[in-house]
Amino acid sequence: MTRDPNTMSRRQLIRHTAWFGAAVGFTVVGGEVISHVAGASVPRPAVGRPTLRFAQVSDSHLGFTGAPNPDVTGTFQHAIDQINNLGYTPDFVIHTGDLTHLATPDQFDHAKQMMSGLRTPHVFTVPGEHDSVDDAGQKYRNAFGAGSRGDGWYSFDTAGVHVIALVNTLNLHKLGHLGTEQLEFVQKDVAGLSSDTPIIVFSHIPLFAMYPDWGWGTDDAAQALGYLRRFASVTCLNGHVHQLFSKTEGNVTFYSGTTTAYPLPHPGEGPAPKPVTLPAGKLRDALGIREVSYTTGQNALALKERTLQ
Amino acid sequence: MTFRNFIVRVGLAASLAVSAASHAYLYAHGYQHISRIGIGFLLQASVSFALAVLILVGGPGWLRWVAAAVAGGSLVAFVMSRTSGLFGFTERGWDPSPYAASSVAAEVVTVVLWAGVLIRWRTSRRGNAPRLLPQAARAQVHGAPLGRDR
Repeated sequence: MTRDPNTMSRRQLIRHTAWFGAAVGFTVVGGEVISHVAGASVPRPAVGRPTLRFAQVSDSHLGFTGAPNPDVTGTFQHAIDQINNLGYTPDFVIHTGDLTHLATPDQFDHAKQMMSGLRTPHVFTVPGEHDSVDDAGQKYRNAFGAGSRGDGWYSFDTAGVHVIALVNTLNLHKLGHLGTEQLEFVQKDVAGLSSDTPIIVFSHIPLFAMYPDWGWGTDDAAQALGYLRRFASVTCLNGHVHQLFSKTEGNVTFYSGTTTAYPLPHPGEGPAPKPVTLPAGKLRDALGIREVSYTTGQNALALKERTLQ
Repeated sequence: MTFRNFIVRVGLAASLAVSAASHAYLYAHGYQHISRIGIGFLLQASVSFALAVLILVGGPGWLRWVAAAVAGGSLVAFVMSRTSGLFGFTERGWDPSPYAASSVAAEVVTVVLWAGVLIRWRTSRRGNAPRLLPQAARAQVHGAPLGRDR
């Protein structure tokens, strides 16, 4: 019997299978080695836990009513419960703005009451543009501005990390805006820090040009980031865009967070960033919280995104 | 094995190794924490390392097709990360330097070497086909175009 030249012999099949198996085997071994090296390159603290752990929650829009989320109070409470059940006490919780939908005193009271239920030593906030719709943020500062400077910006140090909270939702034209006074604050604030100090920056509107046509950027952020260029690790966390997004530019990594209220379209999908109504049962997959941890000696922060389950 | 074939194998292995090393370094230095992108970097690095080793020791031709697909896919992902975004991840220009540039250069070399050998094989096949007996011609078509059918 002669063999069809268009078919593979048994010996050839075995050889190719062996090569395929070797490729898979080397890939698995290579992946294990790289994972091990990546883990070993990170010095672990003696106590076996990160130096700093905190949670980010954003865009709760308390007071919003509409089909995209008929119960923003319920979903925000769910986010708070989820943070309280992380299995550890976060060093602090940051709300990156748009606590309220219309910045009424009742909505601020409501936000403050709900956030007092967070089991954490510190709760920090920055204002969103919805928190300053008619008074340049005055009611926001009355409720949450204690200890802040200027129009509500501030900084603090924790666990060897320098944290800066910026306000880029006042004096809005189209893009976010920091302004001269706040830029001077940033410049002076970091002047005395050594370049190996990890920096975390909070803001509501992204400090990078995520989608300027929809106002998803900050017109004078480059100057602020210029003051941070000499630092080895700069991490910027923001809200506003109601979706996860990340970007690196040199030493700076930007992470947009999701929301506890309602999703917005992806950049450029549709004429404007209007609330999106998802099919029944899908909303909570689009909402969530973020866990962030920092370990001494590690350049990057570790982020874990959690949907509202 | 011809000297040219040996050079191509070494070239492919080297370019794959450079691309893998760049991705592995970036994975270990921060990218592991970026959702979806981290696992992509790990996969790219481990698959490229495996292909580099197997091509260097004389694996069959289809490994080179896989190498070209991995390198081409990496280049597409690089372009997407600079334009439309990739799973919500974007970067600008040649950051992180020099790893972005070195991995892109290595992936281009991989694709060019694969394409060069493919073109050469097709050219030589067209030139030889009329002189071959029909059965021999069919066997050549069946055989691996970029290496021995071992």
